[in-house]
Amino acid sequence: MGRIAGKKLFSIMALCAMVGLLLLPVVVALPSLAIGADAPGDEVKKEGAAKVEKGRDVYYKTEGLVVGAPAPKTVDGPRDYPRYNFESRVLLWFANQQHLYYGSFVLAIPIFCMVIEFMGVVTKDKAMAKRYDQLAYDFIKISLTAYSITAILGGILIFTFLTLYPAFFGYLSGIFRPVMHIYALMFVAESGTLYIYYYGWDKMKEGFLKWIHLSMSVILNVIGTLLMFLANSWIGFMMSPAGVDEQGRYLGNIWHVIHTALWNPLNVHRILGNMAFGGGVVAAYAAYKFLASKTDEDRAHYDWMGYIAMALGVAFLIPLPFAGYWLMREVYAYRQQMGITLMGGLLAWLFIIQATMIGILFLSSNYYLWQALGRMRGAEKYQRYIKYLVFLLVVGFLVFITPHTIVMTPAELKAMGGQQHPVLGNYGVMSAKNGGINVIITTTVLSFVWYMRGNKVSTVSWSKFGNIFMGVFFGCAYVNIIWLAIYGYYIPANVRVGLSVPQVATTLSCLFFMFALNGVMMKGAKQMGAIEWGKISVRSQYALIMLATAFTWMMGLMGYIRSSVRLFWHVNEIMRDNSPWAYTHTVGFAANMISFNVLFFWVSILFVFWLGSLGMKKVPVEAKAGVPGGAAQPAVGH
Amino acid sequence: MGQTIVYVLVSLVICIAYFTAVNHFLMDSQGLDYWYLFRK
Repeated sequence: MGRIAGKKLFSIMALCAMVGLLLLPVVVALPSLAIGADAPGDEVKKEGAAKVEKGRDVYYKTEGLVVGAPAPKTVDGPRDYPRYNFESRVLLWFANQQHLYYGSFVLAIPIFCMVIEFMGVVTKDKAMAKRYDQLAYDFIKISLTAYSITAILGGILIFTFLTLYPAFFGYLSGIFRPVMHIYALMFVAESGTLYIYYYGWDKMKEGFLKWIHLSMSVILNVIGTLLMFLANSWIGFMMSPAGVDEQGRYLGNIWHVIHTALWNPLNVHRILGNMAFGGGVVAAYAAYKFLASKTDEDRAHYDWMGYIAMALGVAFLIPLPFAGYWLMREVYAYRQQMGITLMGGLLAWLFIIQATMIGILFLSSNYYLWQALGRMRGAEKYQRYIKYLVFLLVVGFLVFITPHTIVMTPAELKAMGGQQHPVLGNYGVMSAKNGGINVIITTTVLSFVWYMRGNKVSTVSWSKFGNIFMGVFFGCAYVNIIWLAIYGYYIPANVRVGLSVPQVATTLSCLFFMFALNGVMMKGAKQMGAIEWGKISVRSQYALIMLATAFTWMMGLMGYIRSSVRLFWHVNEIMRDNSPWAYTHTVGFAANMISFNVLFFWVSILFVFWLGSLGMKKVPVEAKAGVPGGAAQPAVGH
Repeated sequence: MGQTIVYVLVSLVICIAYFTAVNHFLMDSQGLDYWYLFRK
């Protein structure tokens, strides 16, 4: 009794310590923020009131006391741009991208763990609870080694900045000095919390202690998210600076520096992107383990793990294009020219590649779900309709990837009669593309709905009306999306741009209302047969690997696009990049570089998986209760 | 069969009303006119 009370007391103390760690950076920062200290160039203030100068915020247009030095005017040479016999930008690109891949992964996995652990705690089925708990533990175990590598890559990134871009890094760290120590302390808090969370798993596995453990995962994720938001503020500042005057002098308001025009869209986009990426990587891990499995039990376990990871990843992939659209809208609102460079100018072809990758992601997800129908008895009734979904997806995909203009020789240009193809050119505009992607996402939602009701028959008294209503709702949604896409051709651009909002709302209506309606209809439904976990085609697992690889590639691509849009600026319109590499690479070079980064990440993450597998030891299964209807599952010791 | 037709019609009325409302109000919330083409 006394021992249990001691454990409780200890766990509560650990939780309090985590909360303390979370609040510590804020407490430490308060006095300095209150007095406006810690700003770069404090010496300017100390030199006397005579030298006090006021500046105007380039974004907020407010006046403030100049407390920082102007952005350095760099010159190409060893002082500002020391270098090896290699393009410094490429080295930085590599270090940055690898850090981002691992950082995204280790930020996403604890969120998955929190969700899965919570599902395990609230579920009434004890066997399922145990299985969810095991899955959450498997997830966090994978991320632990990755966490160490993230930290190492972060160190490498800082050294790369200091070595190759000292003037720029000095300026940026000067601007963010009031919050630099917060970042460092948050990192310490994240590490401490993660290790207590991981190593305390077995000690806090039941009752009240389990809730404490779950609370720790919440704190872990709050810290992780805040860390990401802080890191995002740097790239937000580089793209859309605020809190400084036109010479780049800090005006003493750190919140203005952090809360730039693009900060919030970047935060939302990145958090969704990280989650989808994390889901993809874990799904690929499960697929790899599935393919390497020797027993039915192992196959069943990894099939289930792959499905959960894929479902979580796709759940965040679905709203991701909308978050991206919001980010682009804000980019246009901030600087129209920046938006044009992105989507209609220098970088537009990269967006065509991005559209292709997005299409591949959704095609892979749908393909996996259709294959997964095969492991359910009773799901055969949907098989004959899949060809219609394929048609919708392919048409949506082809419209989505149609370029506005094509790179042509003068002879080709003459033969075609202009920059745009007389027929296909009509699909290369946003009105059509919005329609295309919304059709793709709505079809993915429909595939999910079919999967969720695959082996079930609704028993509610109004099931006939429910089924008809669901069919009509999806039908009307498709008609509305396509209607809005066509309508856009007949109205002026300033009205047309607003049509994307009801289009998105139509897709989201399908997602939320139809999932909810399906859930109500399937409550207490008759099961036609069990889900036979592990009895899925090998092709489906390759689809999961494809999903993860496509996501990694797309992430690299989008990072490059976002960074390239600054063109020859380190900090947009404030600090010019005067290095010899202040030009935009060719599409081919960028694609090769992204592919190299993807390849390096996957080779290194395979090493991480291998390391993780060394610590795994199988223990005898006490209760072989499977996933509902599934084959018996292995328990993995921890 | 008759019941199915009634269900389809009722569903159609609800869905068309819903999506039209979505189009109208979401455009209106942006200060834009959904019925622009028809008013001209």
